[in-house]
Amino acid sequence: MIMQRYQKQISLPQVGKQGQEKLKNSKVLVIGVGGLGCAVLPYLVSAGIGNIGLVDGDRVDKSNLQRQVLFREKSVGKFKVTEARKQLYALNSEVKIENYSEFLSGENAPELIKNYDLLVDCTDSLAVRYLINDACVLTEKSFIYASVYKFEFQVSVFNYKNGPTYRCLFPDEKAEVQNCEEAGVLGTSVGLAGMFQAGEVLKILLGTGEILSGKLLLYNTLFNRQEVFEFAKDDSLKIDKEFYERQHQQFFSEEIYADEINENAFFLDVREAYEQPKMDFPTMLEIPFSKLENELCRLNPEDEILVFCQSGKRSLAALKILKTYNFKNVKSISGGVRALQQLKEVVV
Amino acid sequence: MLRIKYFGVMAEVARCDEEKLALKDKSFSSLISALHEKYAIYNLPVQVAVNRKIRKQNENFNLEENDEIAVLPPFSGG
Repeated sequence: MIMQRYQKQISLPQVGKQGQEKLKNSKVLVIGVGGLGCAVLPYLVSAGIGNIGLVDGDRVDKSNLQRQVLFREKSVGKFKVTEARKQLYALNSEVKIENYSEFLSGENAPELIKNYDLLVDCTDSLAVRYLINDACVLTEKSFIYASVYKFEFQVSVFNYKNGPTYRCLFPDEKAEVQNCEEAGVLGTSVGLAGMFQAGEVLKILLGTGEILSGKLLLYNTLFNRQEVFEFAKDDSLKIDKEFYERQHQQFFSEEIYADEINENAFFLDVREAYEQPKMDFPTMLEIPFSKLENELCRLNPEDEILVFCQSGKRSLAALKILKTYNFKNVKSISGGVRALQQLKEVVV
Repeated sequence: MLRIKYFGVMAEVARCDEEKLALKDKSFSSLISALHEKYAIYNLPVQVAVNRKIRKQNENFNLEENDEIAVLPPFSGG
C-alpha cells in the first residue's frame, strides 16, 4: 500500500525504496504558515515525510486567501496551524503533524527546533530570520530559506554541513525601516518560491543532487530570469550560546512595570484587533504583532515607546523587532494589559 | 564599461534593473564608492557580487572590463 502510494517517486533511482524510508523517518519543522508555508507543506506531506511540525501564532485573515491556498473561506479568524493541519491530514493521514500555535521567540526556539532534522523558514520577518539562523547554528540544524519581494524571490540553504549561515550572506547590520506601502505580491510568485524550498528539503533528506548551500538563487517571475550567486562562510562570526542569549533572550532589563510608566510616553498596542479590553492612553497606536514589521513607518524611532500586549510576551518579541530596526527608547510593559488593569483597580 | 544589475528594492532605488557604468579606476573600492555616491548604498543592507560571487565591500581587488556586477538586498516577504 505504502509503496503503491509513492510509486511514482520510488521509481526514480534517486529515491527508491530506501529513499522513501528516509523520508518516512524524517522530521521537518516549518516555521510560518503563510504564503510560503502553504506552498511547501502539501508537497512535503504528500511526499510522505513522516513527521512535520507547524509553527505560527497567527490566525487566517481574509486577505491571506489570495495566496495561502491551504485555507478556505471558512478558515478566516481561525488559527493557521489548525486549519492547515486539517487540509494536510486529508491529503495524507499517514503523516504525523505537530502544531505549535505560537510565534517563534528567543525563549521557545531552541526547544522547538531540537526535535527536528531540518527547518524550513517560511516567515516574512527579518528579525525572526536572524533568530532562526542563530538557533539553527546552536542546535546544529540546517534551514531552507526563501523570501519574496514583489515578482522576485531568493532561495538558499543555510548552516548545511557547517556551511555559511544567513549572517554570512547578510550580516546583522541594522535594517532600515521600509516605507509603509505594502509591497504586494502574486500568489504564483510565493508558490514558486515555496516549490524551490520543498525541492531542497527533499534533496537534502534523500541525499541527492546539489544543495543551495553557499548559494543564493534569485528568480524573477516577471521576466523568467534565474541567477545563482555564490557567497563564502565568514569565519569571523561566532554564534555561540552567549551570543544567542545576548541577541534573542536578554530583554528583561527592557521591561517596565505597570506602576512605573510615564503616561505621556507613546503607547503601542501589539494585540490583535479583537482582543479586549481596549486601552486608552493619550498617545497610542494599535499595530498587531503580526503586522508590526510592515508598518514600522507609522512609528518614530526617536520617541519613547512603551509596547504592550495581553500578558507581556508578544510585546517582548515586538521589542526585538523594534531593536532590529534601530528604535532606541523602547520598553515592554511587564505583565501587559493584565498588569495595567490590576493597577487601575488598585487606584480606583 | 561595467554592467550593473539591481535586484529587489534596489532596482527601485536605482530606478532601473540594469545600467552600465564607466569607472575612472578599476578598483572594487571605487565601484563601491561610486555606487554609494549614486544610491547611498552604505545606508542599505545590500551585498555586491562580481561575476556572481558576493564580495565583501572592503575587499581590495581590480575589476576587469565587462565584469558583471549585481547589487543584492535582503528580501523579507513570505
